[in-house]
Amino acid sequence: MMNIFFGRKFFDVISFGLLLLLMAPRLSFAQASEMESLRALMKDMQQQLQKALSRIDQLEKEKAADSAKLGQVEKSVQAVQSAPSILNPAIGLVLDGTIEKLGTAGGNFNFRAAELGLAASVDPYARMYAFFTGSNQGFEVEEAAAITTSLPYNLTAKGGRFFADFGRFPKFHIHELPFVNEPLSIDRMVGGESQADGAEVSYLFPTPFFLRATFGGYNKIGADNEQVDNLKPRAGSRFTYLGRLHTYFDLTDNHSIDLGTSLAYTPSVRLTGDASGGDRILGGVDLTYRYQPLASTVYQGFTWGSEFYNNSQRFPFDIEVPNEDDPSILETQTVGKRRRSYGGYSYAELKLNRNWSTGFLFDYAPIVDNPGQRTLSYSPYLTWYLSEFNRLRFQYSYLSNNFKADKAEKGNQFFVQWTTVIGAHTHGFVTR
Amino acid sequence: MKILKSRTLSLFFTVLASTWLYSGLVFAQQIRAVATWPALADITRQVGKELVNVESLATGVEDAHGVPIRPSFVPRLNRADVLVLIGLDDEQTWLPALLEVASNPKILPGRPGYIDCSLGISVLETPIRVDRAEGDVHPKGNPHYLLDPVRAKIVARNIATGLTRNFPQHQQSFEKNLKAYVAELDNWIGRWEKMAAPLRGVKFVDYHPEWVYLADRFGMKLVGSVELKPGIEPTPNHLVELVQQIKQEKARLLIYGAQNPRLPQQIASESGIKVVRLYSGGGNQPETDTYIKWIDYTVRTLVQSVS
Repeated sequence: MMNIFFGRKFFDVISFGLLLLLMAPRLSFAQASEMESLRALMKDMQQQLQKALSRIDQLEKEKAADSAKLGQVEKSVQAVQSAPSILNPAIGLVLDGTIEKLGTAGGNFNFRAAELGLAASVDPYARMYAFFTGSNQGFEVEEAAAITTSLPYNLTAKGGRFFADFGRFPKFHIHELPFVNEPLSIDRMVGGESQADGAEVSYLFPTPFFLRATFGGYNKIGADNEQVDNLKPRAGSRFTYLGRLHTYFDLTDNHSIDLGTSLAYTPSVRLTGDASGGDRILGGVDLTYRYQPLASTVYQGFTWGSEFYNNSQRFPFDIEVPNEDDPSILETQTVGKRRRSYGGYSYAELKLNRNWSTGFLFDYAPIVDNPGQRTLSYSPYLTWYLSEFNRLRFQYSYLSNNFKADKAEKGNQFFVQWTTVIGAHTHGFVTR
Repeated sequence: MKILKSRTLSLFFTVLASTWLYSGLVFAQQIRAVATWPALADITRQVGKELVNVESLATGVEDAHGVPIRPSFVPRLNRADVLVLIGLDDEQTWLPALLEVASNPKILPGRPGYIDCSLGISVLETPIRVDRAEGDVHPKGNPHYLLDPVRAKIVARNIATGLTRNFPQHQQSFEKNLKAYVAELDNWIGRWEKMAAPLRGVKFVDYHPEWVYLADRFGMKLVGSVELKPGIEPTPNHLVELVQQIKQEKARLLIYGAQNPRLPQQIASESGIKVVRLYSGGGNQPETDTYIKWIDYTVRTLVQSVS
């Protein structure tokens, strides 16, 4: 028993136990040290990672700065390389022509206009633009004006030949209109496009909504207005003075209203045969409603626009008066008489998709010196935008007169209009 | 009648004077910034924080070529101290006409208040041939760089530089805010790169070339466009070819935004491609009302679409 107790097996067990006792602290010590070294390694790696991240950050910043510098250098190089032409103005050319059949007068290829436009900054204080138009009626400087860009107090001044800020469509170049022809009411009452030689000052009211006033003084208003000679010097009372107020409201994100009122006043107009003359008052109110769904403005939209004009001025008339010596004889005498005329147009246009739109124009155009005579016109039209710069338009017009009108100015009229644009072409804010 | 007229007039001028005074006082303490797009407005807000009051002109759902020239933008531009814009002619169709009447020389091109965020951006798709026969090309390159969050860091830097140029007294604040925002962006970029792993190599079709920067960042491959040329609607022949191309290339996604859904749906029904509507302007819905939320929503939606 004792042998067994103190025998080999017993010794082995004791030895193994002692070995375990001795090894245990050594093992835990090794584990702890390994953990510590791992921790140190981790810390070291963390530091290295941090350094690497900082370096990446720094490199990215350098890269950004380098590319910014590179961009600037590239721009400078480009600027130097193209220096001879870089200061040239933006140039654009519009070609506008129609194939038309006018009443019983027959058809015609009508080369309406080739309009060359130039625009650029003059200096830090002004910019300039010009439109030169060649047509089958000759060559004309349609507009050439300088506009200030840096006046204080929300003021902008404009001088030269330009389309005076009267109404809405009178300021549009004809090819920019949503239909083929300028409404006859504008033609007869304003005298065509509101072209004027003179100066204008506009003031933007510092209100939360858009409100802008324009004041102007001109030789006359109207590209086809032949009542006043554009070249003769005149007294202050013979100039035309203009005031306009224009505002705009967003009804919702998609619906808006533009409202404007204009007054052109000429203190003294003397037409041949009316020696005393008198003032001319041309007034206008314009209203435009737009539906432009923001998410699909290039595909959908509806516009309804109307303008009403009134014109008041004296015109010479031939009247027959009895001869002073022999009252049975009637003599023709020219006298001046004030005439008031009212006219205007209304149109609605629906955008069908990105390329097509359709609309209808109604126009009431009186003869200003004989307001009892008038022309009513009804014009449905369809526009096909092949692209932003290439447009075909098809229009039918029916003209109804209550007086004997020229063959080309009555009945059924058909038009196919083709308008194309090359280069930089914009008429800016006015034709929005 | 005269009394009525004089009372009406005085009422009109009183209202006018009050609104003038009010609009002046409300913003008197803050820098008035106007951004052209909501995503730019948000980045400006992050860089300027409480020092700036930022307004966006576009809402984010508009086609970049179809932002209406709304006169209601004019008073905002008139009051602005700085104008933050994409540049590269992105706003060419509408912004110059508004600046023409805004009567604010401070924010005209070349002036200190005109902050063009494209400066220093490595621009993609710079055309070799600038000709309208190639469609409505951007002569200076593709302007939709905001869809790349890495490039957005340069945008943030440009905005900070622009704000500092105009208000040097706040330079430290702008720099501090910029650093914090760039760090936040870096954090998100890491997440987006992981999240967008399934997009790598995915072939897609766009309607208009708006997604090249996003594709470039996350490894997607553009195989065709719905438009015949940029800004030119497709012809029937082009659509037939596109459907064939989609099938041959095994394109998986058709991405469109402000365009009419009719054609994408038609292409999808003929080719089986998945259609995704995403806006390249940001800010049009609560999920996209900040730049980070917008990119996150965009990446998430694309990943879900290919999963």
